[in-house]
Amino acid sequence: MSAAVITGVGVVSAFGVGARAFFGGLSEGRSAITQIRSFDASAFPTRVAGEVPVITVDGSWLRSQLVGSSAAADSRLDEYEQRGAFRDRKVGFGLLAAAEAWRAARCGEAEKEAWLSLALGLEQAFLEDFAPLSAAGGVDWAAPPQTALPRVRLRSRLDLCAEVLGRYFELRGPSLVNASACAAGALAVAHAASLIERGAASIVLCGGADSMLNPLGLGGMSRLLAPSPRNELDACRPFDRRRDGLVIGEGAAMFVVESAERAQRRNVRPLARILGWGSTQDAYRATAPRPDGSAASRAIQRALARARLGPEAVGYINAHGTGTPLNDEAEAIAIRAALGAHADHVPVSSIKGALGHLMAASGAIELAACLLPFERGLLPGTAHHRDRDPRCDVSVIGERPLAARVEVVLKNSFGFGGQNASIVLGRAVT
Amino acid sequence: MSRATISGFALRTPLGGHVEEVARRLLAGERAARPNPRFDATSYACTLAAAILGEPEQPRQRRFLRRMGLFALEVATEALAHARLAGGDRLGLFFGYGGLRAHWNDMMPALEHQQANADDAWERGLKLFHPFWMLQHLSNNAQALAAQELSARGEGVTFGGANAGAQALGAAIHALEVGAVDAALVVAHDTLLEPETLVELAARGAATTRGAERLAAPYAEDAAGFVPGEAAAALVLERPSDAGARSLASIEAVDTADGAAGEPGAAVLGKLVERLLRGNEVIDGAGRATLELDFAERACLAERAGPSAALCCTLSAMGQLGAAAALVQAIAFSELLRRQMLPPIAGLRHPADGPLRVITQPEPTLARSVLGISTGAPGLVGIVRVELP
Repeated sequence: MSAAVITGVGVVSAFGVGARAFFGGLSEGRSAITQIRSFDASAFPTRVAGEVPVITVDGSWLRSQLVGSSAAADSRLDEYEQRGAFRDRKVGFGLLAAAEAWRAARCGEAEKEAWLSLALGLEQAFLEDFAPLSAAGGVDWAAPPQTALPRVRLRSRLDLCAEVLGRYFELRGPSLVNASACAAGALAVAHAASLIERGAASIVLCGGADSMLNPLGLGGMSRLLAPSPRNELDACRPFDRRRDGLVIGEGAAMFVVESAERAQRRNVRPLARILGWGSTQDAYRATAPRPDGSAASRAIQRALARARLGPEAVGYINAHGTGTPLNDEAEAIAIRAALGAHADHVPVSSIKGALGHLMAASGAIELAACLLPFERGLLPGTAHHRDRDPRCDVSVIGERPLAARVEVVLKNSFGFGGQNASIVLGRAVT
Repeated sequence: MSRATISGFALRTPLGGHVEEVARRLLAGERAARPNPRFDATSYACTLAAAILGEPEQPRQRRFLRRMGLFALEVATEALAHARLAGGDRLGLFFGYGGLRAHWNDMMPALEHQQANADDAWERGLKLFHPFWMLQHLSNNAQALAAQELSARGEGVTFGGANAGAQALGAAIHALEVGAVDAALVVAHDTLLEPETLVELAARGAATTRGAERLAAPYAEDAAGFVPGEAAAALVLERPSDAGARSLASIEAVDTADGAAGEPGAAVLGKLVERLLRGNEVIDGAGRATLELDFAERACLAERAGPSAALCCTLSAMGQLGAAAALVQAIAFSELLRRQMLPPIAGLRHPADGPLRVITQPEPTLARSVLGISTGAPGLVGIVRVELP
């Protein structure tokens, strides 16, 4: 069995493009929640978000962010630009994050055998496509296509980002798209580690990308009443007594995960080891987590068991921490059930207050945040957490990051309908 | 290569909702293609469809699931009962679906008064969305509700894409192998019959634009596009030692992508076939009904399985089934091989020249195993190998 290590990371978040901006924002304890600017959301019930600071994602913006791409890659970028692929913001975000991870891991020709394991959000439909096509309460399907190629009209396919990444990097390995809602990002990385462990692959480009910041996405989320009803910049307050809902975020985080042997052979410095992972389902309700946290607790226990570690090994927990009343309490119960008395001593934080909930990509970007302790000796803070809810009986880190040296971190990700995933990372052996 | 044992299954296909009926109609050479019964598609380039007839019977979860998700829930429940298993901490769910299919009846009230610049979008209709609209379109909603209905509390995952069924099978087999679960319920559901999908398939020349009277079959000399279809299917997988006498067949699955934007090329297909081929397998072909693709597939299969290997095509009868194809092929052939019969390629009157022994009439067989091949854009391949115990 091969050990899986992370050798490259790339991030696009509300802090900006690049892992440097991401780690910088977290290190300074900032929040990047703003009023939505990429379209007019003034009439929507939800008007704040963790929005990537770009109004329009298009080919020229992407080219300005991509460093040293080949002529062939530029040509593919043009092709997808013409097809309108980047109207789905997550596609561009995924590409930028993947390019950064690929470059950071010093991937070259030999690494093109990589598999792809991605977590991607829903297919997106675009409101601007519908108005010219709708007539008398129906869609006129015979109307002329709105884009150069009809295949991207009206919706961006679920695996479009995977297709773009596969072709941009000329990858030759299989491609998997994990669509397990808000746990998908963590599961996609866990799957990558599983492929490495069993020897099916020696290198995987993995992670997640998502954006629901468009009128249809925001409209649907608003009707669901999941976002905080307050449109303040501190709307998401994980584990706080006054928490009342989530804030929508967008962005991407991508990783190069490879076998330790391959990384050593290539002389690439690992950023972390992926030690274990576990997944369970609540089997409880569609719209609420299991209140006793028992299934989430088993996911944590399975991840630790797979890592062959006891609870006392965990030095930091990056929580799912949505800032919704039910989730945070159930997660705190699950952590305490899995870690027992050790839960008193383990710092816990959530970065959703600072960046919002990236949905399918949340597990991936929060796993990137788990590299901060290893890279900078800092545990991320919990933006807008000021008044701890006694029902969330865990040691929540406040708004400022906490300096600490830890060897093992735990990441929780929970999704719609009670999908639970936990991943254990360890400091890289140098 | 790891494998698992099939101990239960269920399906909903355009040829029926019970494996006996599906096998009987396959052997009779029936095709499910007809003028699209789901909606009036007479103005579309592709007017034919292979649809599941009837509606799902799961009223309880209609708040969260639409048609294909409800079918998925039905087959999941039936398959688990067929395997005589129950839920629990060690039952995992592994789902595959082709991608979001918009539910236009739900969307149009919110969309019909919108402007192209999205001005005032909330007041112009988005406020009319059902509160659960987002959940109804969520990618893993069928898996989440199946977990709840069946008390499945083990590992869970939903894959997306045209070969997501094969991906789900592969993940389930691995989970059994490493002991992460003791039983795996694998479910795949997909429909290609939604308006925007039909527009896309016809625009890239994949779906047929012919009427029923001129419809050609895959591997025919006048093949000109496939018939879009839909299906939901479920398999219960266990380790061979656990299934014991309940074993119906063994199964292996592989999947890949070749980085192409369209249909996958023959080279990547050939490499994948080599991983599962043992000799003497029947081939259940991808049936893309395009002369070049059909010939390339036959050539690469013949190179590896021999020029006289038998070629069937269940997808000619049922239409292209997207993410559900791999599971439907596995179920159909577990029954057909048990009956020791190979089905003809439905509708195939004049096979194109090329290698492999194209099956045009039902014929007896002593074969014990089959390779079921399915493909889709972008460059995706899924292959299952099913072998009788």
